[in-house]
Amino acid sequence: MLHHSNTSSFINHEVSDFDFGELEEAIVLQGVKLNNNNHEIKQTLYSTVKPAATLEMFPSWPIRFQQRGSSKSGEESTDSGRSPMNTLSSTRLETESESPISRKASPEQQAAAAAAAFDYKHHHLQPLQRLRQVEMASGSDSPGTGISQATHATATATAKQTPDKRRRGPGSNSEKVLDAKTLRRLAQNREAARKSRIRKKAYVQQLESSRIRLSQLEQDLQRARSQGLFLGGGVANGNISSGGAVFDMEYARWVDDDHGHMTELRTALQSHLSDGDLRVIVDGYITHYDEIFRLRGVAAKSDVFHLITGMWATAVERCFLWMGGFRPSDLIKMLISQLDPLTEQQLVGIYGLQQSTQQAEEALSQGLDQLHQSLLDAIANSSLNDSMHHMVVALGKISNLEGFVRQADNLRQQTLHQLRRVLTVRQAARCFVVIGEYYGRLRALSSLWASRPRESLMTDNNGEMTPGMQMLQPSHQINQFSHF
Amino acid sequence: MRHCQKSSHASCYLQQYHPSMLRHHACHPSAAAAAAEDPLQRVVRLASGSAIVIFSVSTCCMCHALKRLFCGMGVSPTVFELDQDPRGKDIERALMLLLGGGSAVPVVFIGGKLVGAMDRVMASHINGTLVPLLKEAGALWL
Repeated sequence: MLHHSNTSSFINHEVSDFDFGELEEAIVLQGVKLNNNNHEIKQTLYSTVKPAATLEMFPSWPIRFQQRGSSKSGEESTDSGRSPMNTLSSTRLETESESPISRKASPEQQAAAAAAAFDYKHHHLQPLQRLRQVEMASGSDSPGTGISQATHATATATAKQTPDKRRRGPGSNSEKVLDAKTLRRLAQNREAARKSRIRKKAYVQQLESSRIRLSQLEQDLQRARSQGLFLGGGVANGNISSGGAVFDMEYARWVDDDHGHMTELRTALQSHLSDGDLRVIVDGYITHYDEIFRLRGVAAKSDVFHLITGMWATAVERCFLWMGGFRPSDLIKMLISQLDPLTEQQLVGIYGLQQSTQQAEEALSQGLDQLHQSLLDAIANSSLNDSMHHMVVALGKISNLEGFVRQADNLRQQTLHQLRRVLTVRQAARCFVVIGEYYGRLRALSSLWASRPRESLMTDNNGEMTPGMQMLQPSHQINQFSHF
Repeated sequence: MRHCQKSSHASCYLQQYHPSMLRHHACHPSAAAAAAEDPLQRVVRLASGSAIVIFSVSTCCMCHALKRLFCGMGVSPTVFELDQDPRGKDIERALMLLLGGGSAVPVVFIGGKLVGAMDRVMASHINGTLVPLLKEAGALWL
């Protein structure tokens, strides 16, 4: 960092972050033995300099180039990239961004900075010999303010290296002033410079990692939103298989379609459409349900547990789950009271439907019970020898789960179709509106329950619960759903 | 063709079902006759033997569900457990051909005619065609 900040200090006049610890040391000790830095440093000196620096928060070179440069030159040091370009751009970043961060406490250094700025205006691209002259000039001034005149980054860079080199002056004609006070001051400056460099490095790294993390979060959010995970009744992300995630997304879309169908049915009923037109809408609703059963069939193949554990459903729906979905006999029971008036024949049909669904559900439930039992037997009764065999058997039994979910969905689908057959077009339309509202209320119940007022949310500023507030919240929420 | 003996062998095959509910058949035709009979023909023969016939596998849970369905309706079907029949594999293959793929069991014949696998039986029960079919075949009297 040092030597290119020195370079740029020819250009921009803010050198408050300039590491004068090293500079002073170099001047005082007159130890400017340039080793392999020589060539490169000369290059930096003679390189083309860009005009006045603008604030460049994001340098043209990636940070790693700059940091690589820093690691190269020593443990704490100088982010000296070896290429002039690198030097200049990174310098700009450092000088501009560092100044608020690592302001040197030493007043000497700040005075020196001002002085050095003044000097650098007049000493663009000094060759090495000129530097020595400056050294001399500064050296001839009072040693106390001797920091002011700059040697170059060359000096500072090499000042970091072994003390021997420092002392081995290349035949300079200044004297070495090595009193204890000066030495102590030099050491303190060195220390401060090092600390500020470390702080700056840490800050820049933190900025970079935060930036990366932010962009990653944004990507994740985008992805999750597109998968409709937030629409699926608040399902926790990260634990869903891809098949389950796909189904959740499709189910969310189906629920949206359902709202559309419901609105269509309601307006059709209210506007007293002809039976023919109404039939088209009702049949469309049946097709809409056929579609979800088809999607569930696909989902059952890829992840039957996602369906059977109701991960796709809202909490209240999950409570009433039977074989991964609604229980047809419950639906009929709910509808019977709402479907008046029914003819004698229709009543027979509906009660017959109730009975047959109950019988079919009972049969499937017993089949599933037997599956559970045999699965438990397969897992529990395995000895050490044939545990693998039992696991294979168990896996085979689990594969039967898909069949049960499929049969249950088949039952649901047949129930809806039979309802359509038993009822007239108008009755069927009303029936489907009732069904849609029923599930809408179940979902709303889940949301209400999730957002119900609890003690921790209800305290006012004094930390006390006010009964008035308590009663306000639930009624407010219920009013939102008054149209049911 | 030999007629199958019923009650003497029934107890061997009954597990959790009440003896009166199900009649399990063990068919042991002579070796020569057995070799000559085509599996599909055997299926047809067995299916015609009773008002309601179920081909099943004793460990299959879906077969269990189907049996429970009929018991729940008050019907006592004739059940052939293919895993307990020496030529069960042949029958399974024949049933697969009849059904056009998928699982061979459970399969239901009513009045000697093929009704189908579990989904067909359920669908016909829901749409109300199963009970008349059973009554017609004499499996159900109500």
